[in-house]
Amino acid sequence: MSFPFLTALVLLPVAGALAVALVPRRAERTQKLLALAFTTAAFALSLVMLSGFQSRAGMQFEASRPWIPAYGISYHVGVDGLSVWLVILTTFLTPLALLGSWSSIHERVREFNIFMLLLEAGMVGVFVALDLFLFYIFWEAMLIPMYFLIGIWGHERRIYAAIKFFIYTFAGSALMMVAFIVLYRAAGLRSFDLAVLASQPVNPGLQMWLFAAFALAFAVKVPMFPFHTWLPDAHVEAPTAGSVLLAGVLLKMGTYGFLRLALPLFPVAAVRFAPLIAVLAVIGILYGALVSLVQPNLKKLVAYSSVAHLGFVMLGVAAMTTTAVVGAVYQMLNHGISTGALFFLVGMLHDRRHTFLISEYGGLKAVMPWFSAVFLLVCFSSIAVPGFNGFIGEFLILLGSWTTPYARGPVLVTAASIGVILAAGYILWMVQRVLYGEVTNPENQRLRDLSVREAAVIVPLVALALFMGIASPLFTHTIEPSVAALVTQFHAAGR
Amino acid sequence: MSPYGPIDLRPVWPALIVAITGVIVLLVQAVTPRGKGGPFAALSLVGIAAALGATGVLATGPGRGAVLGGAIAADEFALFFHVLILVIAALAVLLSPSYLRAAGLERGEYYALTLFSVVGMLGLVSSRELVSLFVALEIMSISIYALAGLRRERPESQESAMKYFITGAFSSAFFLYGVALLYGVSGSTSLGPIATAVRGAAGGPAAVALAGTGLLLVGFGFKVACVPFHMWVPDVYEGAPTPVTALMSAGVKTAAFGALIRVFLQALPSLTSEWHPAVAALAALTIVVGNLGALAQSSVKRMLAYSSVAHAGYLLAALVAAPGVGTEAVLFYLVAYSAVNLGGLGTLAALARDGREPLTFADVAGLARRRPVIAAAFAVFLVSLTGIPISAGFVGKFYLFTAAIDGGYVTLAVVGVLMSAVSAYYYLGVIVAMYMREPAGEDAWGPVGAAAGVALTASVLIVLGLGVYPGPVLAWARLAARSLL
Repeated sequence: MSFPFLTALVLLPVAGALAVALVPRRAERTQKLLALAFTTAAFALSLVMLSGFQSRAGMQFEASRPWIPAYGISYHVGVDGLSVWLVILTTFLTPLALLGSWSSIHERVREFNIFMLLLEAGMVGVFVALDLFLFYIFWEAMLIPMYFLIGIWGHERRIYAAIKFFIYTFAGSALMMVAFIVLYRAAGLRSFDLAVLASQPVNPGLQMWLFAAFALAFAVKVPMFPFHTWLPDAHVEAPTAGSVLLAGVLLKMGTYGFLRLALPLFPVAAVRFAPLIAVLAVIGILYGALVSLVQPNLKKLVAYSSVAHLGFVMLGVAAMTTTAVVGAVYQMLNHGISTGALFFLVGMLHDRRHTFLISEYGGLKAVMPWFSAVFLLVCFSSIAVPGFNGFIGEFLILLGSWTTPYARGPVLVTAASIGVILAAGYILWMVQRVLYGEVTNPENQRLRDLSVREAAVIVPLVALALFMGIASPLFTHTIEPSVAALVTQFHAAGR
Repeated sequence: MSPYGPIDLRPVWPALIVAITGVIVLLVQAVTPRGKGGPFAALSLVGIAAALGATGVLATGPGRGAVLGGAIAADEFALFFHVLILVIAALAVLLSPSYLRAAGLERGEYYALTLFSVVGMLGLVSSRELVSLFVALEIMSISIYALAGLRRERPESQESAMKYFITGAFSSAFFLYGVALLYGVSGSTSLGPIATAVRGAAGGPAAVALAGTGLLLVGFGFKVACVPFHMWVPDVYEGAPTPVTALMSAGVKTAAFGALIRVFLQALPSLTSEWHPAVAALAALTIVVGNLGALAQSSVKRMLAYSSVAHAGYLLAALVAAPGVGTEAVLFYLVAYSAVNLGGLGTLAALARDGREPLTFADVAGLARRRPVIAAAFAVFLVSLTGIPISAGFVGKFYLFTAAIDGGYVTLAVVGVLMSAVSAYYYLGVIVAMYMREPAGEDAWGPVGAAAGVALTASVLIVLGLGVYPGPVLAWARLAARSLL
């Protein structure tokens, strides 16, 4: 038997959390170093796994053993082209998030590190679970650490935001549990295994209901318009590390859920819902962009831009052509990197000035040249300038959606393209107000530029954004076989 | 020789041992000088451990049929509940010394009454005959009435005892009337003959049997605290000494559910299509009212009281499934629920000092800063009550809703999960207070005693253990559930 990479990736952060818990309360430095060491080790381990990953359809690094045999529940994990990069994204962003908040978390450092580690375990678990029950466990369990991260270390309205985040997502996914129990009974296969359940979809009438319940859970998480109202609060009030992981990884769990669960399990219903999802996605793109355009608050602007970006991803998912879905998966990674980086940068500004208001800044280019250069590059990545990763993702999505058999592709693509233009508008206008012009606020005269630690956090992200813009085949090559298999299976079953 | 053949007392050993221990505790109290503590808790624990041992002997030994004229059974179902109730009793006893010390209540009667109530609980879950069942019910209830009123100097405690007594007497009357009607139909108070008679009944007798069933359901409804028979719960739970509240919410509810399941499955299986809809309606009502009630509370203890009402609703929801599936889900959830409630109320009890304990949300504000370990334990219990993985509460709710869906009541499961989402608000409210608010004033709470520490640790381990690896307990619950069919 080969090394159980995926189990190790889930358990390593848990072991780290236990280790940190055993460190005396006052030894904060040890706690931070320990957490960083464990998450870095997890990242290294995930890279080793990646090096053994083959560009083919089907699950790899699978492990399966019975867990609750009476209900046909098993511990079944594995990765394919859809999930492998999301696992890497998680293990990559977590140590960066820890490093990024190295000096901005001052109290209850031990608990902070414990929750970050548990969060990582939960996120990896969601992406590798191949059993519905197991998936749901990770999906829900992960809410707890994020709830604490927002509620304890967040900004002024943190408690409100934490509760809203929790109740919204918990209520959203509550019906999913009922739905998968109904599915279990209706399928009559005595199994919660995804592949087994997907091999024999239930009758179309029931599929509609079950799809709706699953889609609600995922739509809240993505978040799709009109289920997005928790997002601005949670993202803005969360501490930087929390915002980075929320935007970088957690939102992807929703889009991933559509691809991994909702579409294969309920193909007929998915086809019928596809036009609705596509339209909501486009509304999300335009709505997110328009709201971002008028945001006076930097962090809120980035938060709403996520609504728009995830709209693109959902458009690609709903289009269900190989090109569009590859674009969607790629765009998930891009968004994780560029928006993660934006939250880091906004957090760095907040560390210095303790405000998110755009009007408080201006002319930073003169004061913080390195910071400004990086900021500009990240913004380019975010608005999909050719040469950056965002361009590849959005282009593939728009290209693939044009020919979608399920909706009026050309109309949707045209509308979504307006969103691309608006994105350039709100980001560049924000860049102009923050970086350029005179230094109007005297408090900004003496701001420090990037420290070495901050550079260590942000440079890998920028480098990756550029690398993924140029060397995209390296990534899409591994994503495509799995997506093609998914799309083929979907079209065959969705008739 | 008795008319029933040789008297075999083995199946009642556990209850007898507990009863004798109770008497011994009273005797020791009698020779202990006034105002002095005695080894009451230790004695009680020894008795409970011996009873557990006797249960183990019973489980492995031969001859486990019904005894005492078929009135008492020692089937797998009874043994499952014996172990569960004895463990609940042990944890409740462990939670008591520090609380009683803080409240100035260190007296033998407390432990003796606790043990006597346990005797009643053990009888309840093993009776296959309605009169012995009623006697057991009264042994349990009367002991608890007295326990609830133990803090005589406090009006809340008096109110609690009085209210519980009156509603309890009321529910006993309903119960007895139901027994009488079923006796009228069948000419027997044993479950087997009743089942036969009810199955064959038609016309007038069938209507009487249905009325009897309804009255039994009302009687049990009071004991398991489901809506609309729950009015007494908040006041009684709030006023009673906290370890007693823990015993009530875990032990009494567990025993009452045990008896309810046995009676309805063994005596009234032919009326399933009649009582299933009634139970489903009660369940939905209980879930909604319990959760909405809890939402409005400013006292943590009172909130937990309403939450225990809500959980009675979740448990009822599983009873509408096919007997095997529903019963095993209920048994599993009773384990999870008992551990969580003992833990949650135990946390409040463990912090008691000078007759005071944390009650309001303000009282627990900032607890995580001053008492990180106990706050973490409380958080685990609250997470489990909400039904979030990785906790016993999640796995338990999963089984309950699976059972409800199995019975064809998908709507009931939907009501259940949606109200679980509502419950997240008030359970998390406590976590918000503990973790996200600043502590006010001095740390007014006592140190957690060793015994209480053991009880809370055990509860946490049960909650997390069942959350990660529920298989063995579920298999056992399944075995117990099958023994009823």
